[in-house]
Amino acid sequence: MQRRAFLGDLIQGAVAAATLGAVASNAAAAPGVRRYLRPPGALAEDDFTAQCIHCGQCAEVCPNRCIRYFGLENGLASADTPYIIPREQACILCMKCGEVCPSGAIQPVPREAEAILDKIHMGTARVDQRICLSWQGKTCGVCYRACPLPDIAIRVGRLEQPHVLDGCVGCGICERSCIQIPQAIRIIPDRGGTKMSTA
Amino acid sequence: MRHLNKLRLATLAIIFAMLVLLPFLSIYQSYRAAYAYDLLAPAEQQFYDVMEWLSEPFTDDPAADLDMLKGTTWSANIFGLKLSDPLAVVGQMAAGGRVYAPFLLSALIPIILSVLLGRFFCGWICPATGLYELNSALSRWLRALGLRSPARHFDLRFKYGVLAVGLLLSMVTGSIFFALIYPPAIIGRELYYAIALGGFGAGAVFFVLTLLFDLLVARRGFCRYLCPGGALYSLLGRYRLLRIARKVEQCNDCTKCDVVCEFGLQPMRDGFGQECNNCTACMAVCPTDALAFRFAVTDLPAQGAGHLGRTHLRHGASPAEGED
Repeated sequence: MQRRAFLGDLIQGAVAAATLGAVASNAAAAPGVRRYLRPPGALAEDDFTAQCIHCGQCAEVCPNRCIRYFGLENGLASADTPYIIPREQACILCMKCGEVCPSGAIQPVPREAEAILDKIHMGTARVDQRICLSWQGKTCGVCYRACPLPDIAIRVGRLEQPHVLDGCVGCGICERSCIQIPQAIRIIPDRGGTKMSTA
Repeated sequence: MRHLNKLRLATLAIIFAMLVLLPFLSIYQSYRAAYAYDLLAPAEQQFYDVMEWLSEPFTDDPAADLDMLKGTTWSANIFGLKLSDPLAVVGQMAAGGRVYAPFLLSALIPIILSVLLGRFFCGWICPATGLYELNSALSRWLRALGLRSPARHFDLRFKYGVLAVGLLLSMVTGSIFFALIYPPAIIGRELYYAIALGGFGAGAVFFVLTLLFDLLVARRGFCRYLCPGGALYSLLGRYRLLRIARKVEQCNDCTKCDVVCEFGLQPMRDGFGQECNNCTACMAVCPTDALAFRFAVTDLPAQGAGHLGRTHLRHGASPAEGED
């Protein structure tokens, strides 16, 4: 995997330098610097870019239109692969993208709480207590109200102060709905991915 | 038989229209899912009404039924049936080094059809074909105006090299390389980007470059010499069952078929081979109906000059006339 990554970087660098000049080489120099999520059920990052055929069906089927596509800014291997920026539009865990994905890059996961909790690891929410309104004494609790898995992924204590729990799957709805600017709760991506089903 | 070409052009038009319509349907679905008709801007409400009018006859429950048709000519979901381009499957195998069975299965129908019908995808389904043919027409109009393009010829086997290099690049980079350079993958995706996501991506630039290549360097050059999908389909269709064959008794050597053939083949001298995509343009243009379908795994051997042609009539029916 390491040799592949090296060769990949080599080719990526050559292609970028040869064809796209300053813009792309800038992007190729720092792949993965943006904080993005892969759609729910996506494989681990390396496997994901290998399996994904860049067909665009995941975004087409997404009723919430949260799925976007990379250009060349995240490296050549990521070109035209789907990503989610939760602050802009978060995943509502409808699980349609895994159902429609033909390539197995996004694994199908049934839309049931147990299956989602078991298989989906897009990331984990983290609260910045220095800017969170509730932690600053101004009772808020919006993230808890927005969470599709309340008391499993997040719970609130005194003054609605949020505590993220182990059940958090990283859908990003809390980050999307946070009323503080900048947002006081953010998803830290976990691109370790879902295991490929052997079926 | 001569109407098959019109049927083909109609098929291409319908497929292209679907590729344009699907992103609009996708936007419409997101509006429906948001339950906020009254909060839409007036223009969005008009859009909603139009899409509702378009889709209503075909859907009972829009939330579910509109999901029945998704995807592009690269990979599509048609009423629960997943269909994928064999090139996508081959490319994924090269990139990931493993076989994902459900995906392989989704390419089964296209593979079987290609083995039976040859490179029909290129002529009958590929959404780039219509645009490339318009491009060739543009080239003819320019020639009528006195602007000649060089119309160079290269080796038709070059595209097999592109296929091999593409597989190698997929293997090395760990990402399917063909999606970046294969028009049937690019067009549907770029239409989605342009309509639903607000702008073309890099693929559109590449596609315009192929159009310019065709216009300025070689007629239909990308499909003939460079397309990795065309290479794969040609290989799959090498022993196809359905072939166009020439009835030598009816041929008058008018060369119209050779001129019309977008892939630079020689229907007038039985030169079809694995490159022929059964597009039937030559059948449509033949004035004496000398070209027809034939079920066989090989082409007819070279039959020499047509019996209605000048060469044959002058030299009689001597079998020794041979090629020109």
